[in-house]
Amino acid sequence: MTTAIADPVLEVHDLTVTYRQKPALWDIDFGIPQGVLVGVVGPNGAGKSTLIKAIMDLVPTASGYANCFGQSLDEVRQRVSYVPQRESVDWDFPASALDVVLMGRYGKRGLFRRLSNRDRRVARECLRTVGLEAFADRQIAQLSGGQQQRVFLARALAQEADLYLMDEPFAGVDAATERTTLELLGELRDQGKTIVVVHHDLQTAAEYFDWIVLLNTRLVAYGPKAEVFTPELLQETYGGSLTLLANVSELARKQNLPVRE
Amino acid sequence: MPQWLHLDDPNLWLVLAGTVLVGAASALVGVFAFLRRRALVGDAVAHSVLPGIALAFVVGQSRSLAVLLPGAFISGLLALWSIDAIARNSRIKPDAATGLVLSVFFGTGILLMTWIQRSQGAAQAGLDRFLFGQAAGILPTDLYLFAAVAAFLAVCIAIALKEFRLLSFDPEFARAIGMPFRSLEGLLAVLTVLAVVIGVQTVGVVLMAALLITPAAAARFWTDRLGTMLLLAAGIAAMGSMAGSMVSYAVPRQPTGPWIIVALSALALASMAFAPRRGWLAQRIRLAAYRRKIARENVLKAFWHAAEEQRPEVASVPGAGHPTSPVLSEAQLLERRAFVPRSLRRSMRKLARQGLLQAVQAQPDAVSAAGWQATPEGLRAGARLARIHRLWELYLTEKLRIAPDHVHDDAEAIEHLITPELEAELEAVLDHPERDPHGSAIPRPNGTGSRGKDRTEKPINPKAG
Ligand SMILES: Nc1ncnc2c1ncn2[C@@H]1O[C@H](COP(=O)(O)OP(=O)(O)O)[C@@H](O)[C@H]1O
Ligand SMILES: [Mg+2]
Repeated sequence: MTTAIADPVLEVHDLTVTYRQKPALWDIDFGIPQGVLVGVVGPNGAGKSTLIKAIMDLVPTASGYANCFGQSLDEVRQRVSYVPQRESVDWDFPASALDVVLMGRYGKRGLFRRLSNRDRRVARECLRTVGLEAFADRQIAQLSGGQQQRVFLARALAQEADLYLMDEPFAGVDAATERTTLELLGELRDQGKTIVVVHHDLQTAAEYFDWIVLLNTRLVAYGPKAEVFTPELLQETYGGSLTLLANVSELARKQNLPVRE
Repeated sequence: MPQWLHLDDPNLWLVLAGTVLVGAASALVGVFAFLRRRALVGDAVAHSVLPGIALAFVVGQSRSLAVLLPGAFISGLLALWSIDAIARNSRIKPDAATGLVLSVFFGTGILLMTWIQRSQGAAQAGLDRFLFGQAAGILPTDLYLFAAVAAFLAVCIAIALKEFRLLSFDPEFARAIGMPFRSLEGLLAVLTVLAVVIGVQTVGVVLMAALLITPAAAARFWTDRLGTMLLLAAGIAAMGSMAGSMVSYAVPRQPTGPWIIVALSALALASMAFAPRRGWLAQRIRLAAYRRKIARENVLKAFWHAAEEQRPEVASVPGAGHPTSPVLSEAQLLERRAFVPRSLRRSMRKLARQGLLQAVQAQPDAVSAAGWQATPEGLRAGARLARIHRLWELYLTEKLRIAPDHVHDDAEAIEHLITPELEAELEAVLDHPERDPHGSAIPRPNGTGSRGKDRTEKPINPKAG
């Protein structure tokens, strides 16, 4: 099922990503309008993180492309914010919470330029928004998992972007963080920003998001959640394995052939 | 001033200045190698400059650093580039690629040096100093070169600190915001090779990695700030280099490089042992303090349990009043729990100072014996522990499906750890329960009593609910 979107903020066109010939995403094609809160939902290994990384140009694509605001990412990077999975960094790094949030200002400041007082003010403001103003100078290893996730959120806020791509911001967080995050996402949406959130929990997905992208290597469905959250589509996403596709790609991998020309 | 230190010897000053400059410069780039977990790559680069030095000698027919170091630089960069290219374009993983490049380059270097030794005779004397380093041979012109390279490294890192920080902490985010990731990585690589190139003269290719990594590892124990860590690493490296140079200067026929590394390792070990917070000693002290806290909390809990047993009706009916603490003698406390007597007395003294416990004199009418009594505040603290204990037992049985007879020991440990926030969350997750899996009432948050009936009621099967 597909819905035609006029003027999408995010447009993914025929996107295929393979890791060593093994497809992680297969012909993904969808668009997201402005001002919605989108959940990207699918089982483990469905390619959710890969989708976000491909949009951010962090993994090579075998075919297809992604556009933001109708332009290629390089032209609009300042308006796009990426929140990686919490586990993707070493939290024992010598940095304070404020140091990490300030990283959200690096893009605005430019190469080799010093951060300004305004940057510091904005960063502190963002820490306050996620309820961590008291932890600004805390070494990041001393924060709880939920607080670390909120530091990442604050860093994204500090980017002052219009499109947010977040990888599992709800994974393994405490109740306070979950509440703060949800409120924040709602506020951003109400300001007209577009937020795409990778989420693995089906139960809460229906509750959290306006739109759902159902993903399992291929795109199962996307659209307003009322249309997408049907038993058949969920079964398609989480149920039957893609045996044929897996077999074909296995064949390609064994013979060391590309799955795309 | 000891006899052996000839401070008027200009050679001593040359060696000291040279090794300090080299050490500090290596430490600065080493911090990033350390933080990016690229210690092995630094080692590979160090070993890989050897063939470059040998070839430069053959081509330039000179032993001066001005001829040899460019050769070292090129071969070091080539090694880094090869590691990257192999890891990128083949199935070989980065660590294997690093090992591969290290051995191929180093092996080639050794072969070339052997060949030079055979064919060129005595003229090559001095090339093998690059294996283990020889600071004694530093010339004034070398010193200018070292100073220039060290200054260049320091300035580059100062200018690109923000970029290198992000590159080391979160490379994906760095790329996502459009930083010229490859160029910055390349710059860092060039700086690393530069540090190695000036370092091999003093400590040699074999020990160079230690000069890069050890100061950073030592500095990390003392600070949580990147800027401070850079300065500290440079300082530690300068200290170690100075100490090592002095030893090798004072004692005849002692090599400089190995002594510098020995001194640095001693500083790193000392940091590991004595640094505040992160050091071994500080951790032991923290652990001992935590054990004492556990011992004290167990005493308070014992008083609360005694109060609960004595007056279950007060403990169980909301609003019926506050349970009061019974008077317990030391012997009675030891009966209730296997306290270590000496630690029990220490715990009680401390609790008394904190106003949580008070000594009670024996009454003349001999109705009550002498002993200790918890103050209302102490009783509340004991109730809170019992409360967390029972909440945790319930959590384990209900949410993790652990058998009720297996949860007590776990709760004994966890009750001392849980913060008020976690306590609130635990209670919310369990939907404000009244009884633990063994049927005991869970004391209310304000710690003045329990809800529900006393614990003589038959146990509730947690799995049934
Ligand atoms: N760097 C990588 N190299 C090889 N395979 C990868 C890599 N990253 C992910 N994969 C594989 O691609 C598939 C999709 O992964 P991912 O996008 O992380 O899934 P999700 O985020 O939905 O759990 C998985 O099968 C995973 O094993
Ligand atoms: Mg993922």
